[in-house]
Amino acid sequence: MSEQATLARPYAAAVFKRAKETDTTATWSQSLAFMSAVLKNEDISVVIDNPKVNKERLSALMLDICQEHINEENENFLKLLVHNNRLMLLPTIAKLFEAYKAEDEGYVEVEVFTAYALSKEAKQNFTATLEKTLGKKILMNVAVDKTLIGGVLVRAGDRVIDGSIKGRLQHMQKALQ
Amino acid sequence: MQLNPSEISDLIKKKIENFDLSAEAHTEGTVVSVTDGIVRVHGLSEAMQGEMLEFPGNTFGMALNLERDSVGVVILGSYQHITEGDTVKCTGKILEVPVGEALLGRVVDALGNPIDGKGAIDTTETAPIEKIAPGVIARQSVDQPVQLGLKSIDAMIPVGRGQRELIIGDRQTGKTAIAIDAIINQKGTGIKCIYVAIGQKRSSIANVVRKLEEHGAMAHTIIVAASASESAALQFIAPYTGCSMGEFFRDRGEDALIIYDDLTKQAWAYRQVSLLLRRPPGREAYPGDVFYLHSRLLERASRINAAEVEKLTGGRVKGKTGSLTALPIIETQGGDVSAFVPTNVISITDGQIFLESNLFNSGIRPAVNAGLSVSRVGGAAQTKIIKKLGGGTRLDLAQYRELAAFAQFASDLDESTRKQIERGQRVTELMKQNQYSPMSVAQMAVSLFAANEGFLDSIEVNKVLDFEAALQLYMKSEQSELMSNINATGDFSNEISSGIRTAIETFINTHSW
Repeated sequence: MSEQATLARPYAAAVFKRAKETDTTATWSQSLAFMSAVLKNEDISVVIDNPKVNKERLSALMLDICQEHINEENENFLKLLVHNNRLMLLPTIAKLFEAYKAEDEGYVEVEVFTAYALSKEAKQNFTATLEKTLGKKILMNVAVDKTLIGGVLVRAGDRVIDGSIKGRLQHMQKALQ
Repeated sequence: MQLNPSEISDLIKKKIENFDLSAEAHTEGTVVSVTDGIVRVHGLSEAMQGEMLEFPGNTFGMALNLERDSVGVVILGSYQHITEGDTVKCTGKILEVPVGEALLGRVVDALGNPIDGKGAIDTTETAPIEKIAPGVIARQSVDQPVQLGLKSIDAMIPVGRGQRELIIGDRQTGKTAIAIDAIINQKGTGIKCIYVAIGQKRSSIANVVRKLEEHGAMAHTIIVAASASESAALQFIAPYTGCSMGEFFRDRGEDALIIYDDLTKQAWAYRQVSLLLRRPPGREAYPGDVFYLHSRLLERASRINAAEVEKLTGGRVKGKTGSLTALPIIETQGGDVSAFVPTNVISITDGQIFLESNLFNSGIRPAVNAGLSVSRVGGAAQTKIIKKLGGGTRLDLAQYRELAAFAQFASDLDESTRKQIERGQRVTELMKQNQYSPMSVAQMAVSLFAANEGFLDSIEVNKVLDFEAALQLYMKSEQSELMSNINATGDFSNEISSGIRTAIETFINTHSW
């Protein structure tokens, strides 16, 4: 996984630069997401792994599948990946692209797990507090996780803020040992 | 102590009352791969070099490789239960071990957990295992002796407090024996000892512990054991653990002696960890920083001045210097001291005690090669009397070695050459000493005096040790005042000289051996 990220980083950086130049980050983001979704299909991955399928056929196939959703530049990018045998990096590239995009636009994606669904008002308050703590704008995904018992668990990239009852109980278990 | 249920619940209540219940913020990552105790973790972007990382199941690891997308971690302990996808938490702490007086008399593992079945260790203080050695300003030169209790070493290769003296030799040459004698001889001197066993058999470690207990030397000793069955990571950190425990005493104005037995195995363990972390191999497949591995460890053995001790203790201890003396052990293969690790450690230390298997096999034990062994700073620390009397020994042996080879060919030798050879033979014989019988300064002085002044010349070579034993017994029973006088001051004066002379003369005239 780590090696994949290392390989994918130059591609993602190049794509992001190009997208910034042409001001098409949103469309790039969509088409990258679409292409990665295509690659997740089992039939496709079988085709990619099959050494009998040569590069021309593979790129023709990929373009055929994606044609509705991609523009010319996306097409060239896809051809390049096929040519370099790096098609399987696409999901990682998409992820890194999103990270670059988020950094550029100055927000962080935050996953929030709560024991009970939040009311709209609580959500707004919570967003404001979190933005203050993290010092950045946030894009919040809220999910309900009953196993937390109570409280919230916030995950922003590597950082985790654990304010759940479950976490505190675990903490206490360790302290009392 | 028996606790009744209500007391227990009170204890728990108190703990819960003091429990910090704020939301916990930390950095998390996920395990990507597990290979032979090395774990790659994705995420953990804020991990520090050497930071303790928490794995599920109360397991800890140490971050060693910080890469762009992953962190290479060594697991400290068993890693069988760690699987791909486990979450790993940063603790924000560099690896720490318990330190303090309470560790004396205990056997602990490389993380400072007791393994001797004597219950928890009653100490609250901890210290990071990696520390930077004291700076230039904080140091003081070595000028007090550490008596190892071995005639051949204390007379010819003296060790001072704060010195690093390497013990080097092939397997089965008595390296550990010297170290154990050194620990036993520190009984009652106030020098605390730490014995770090790295990659040894558990049975050998148990033997050492038993021997130390038999000789009443466990009370001032800490044993840090990372046996051969423990993971390479633990064998690699064990010397640093021991060093931190020793520094505790040094920084409080006390004296400590640490023995690393042995650093060859630590280098092997480090090589294993490094190769598994995919660091590029260099000479003998060791990683590039194997020199720094030992230099940063041995640099921490030092003598620090009173001002530094005062600073470190916050003014509680005044006017006392602290020291940590290190006796690292290196095992050579077939007497090859020019291999990578031996040359490194020789160049780092302040001298070496070189042990040879052919000497050992010919019955000269300790098998010290007096020609190749040196002590670069110990001379300044030697007690006056041993310095005065031991100087002759070194000279006698050097001249003997020169002539001995030559004498095998010449049948008739002139009088002075013959005398020198005979003196050499007797001094060589006198340097033999049994294991677990360290000698005091006075005992050594008497033996060396007898050799220097020619009292041994009229005694048959194979009777020298009997003569010495009988003489020591006599001195102990009849001349105890003189002996305790020498032990107390360590000075050499005309009065003491004539005292020893008359005592030996009386002994020769009145006793048999």
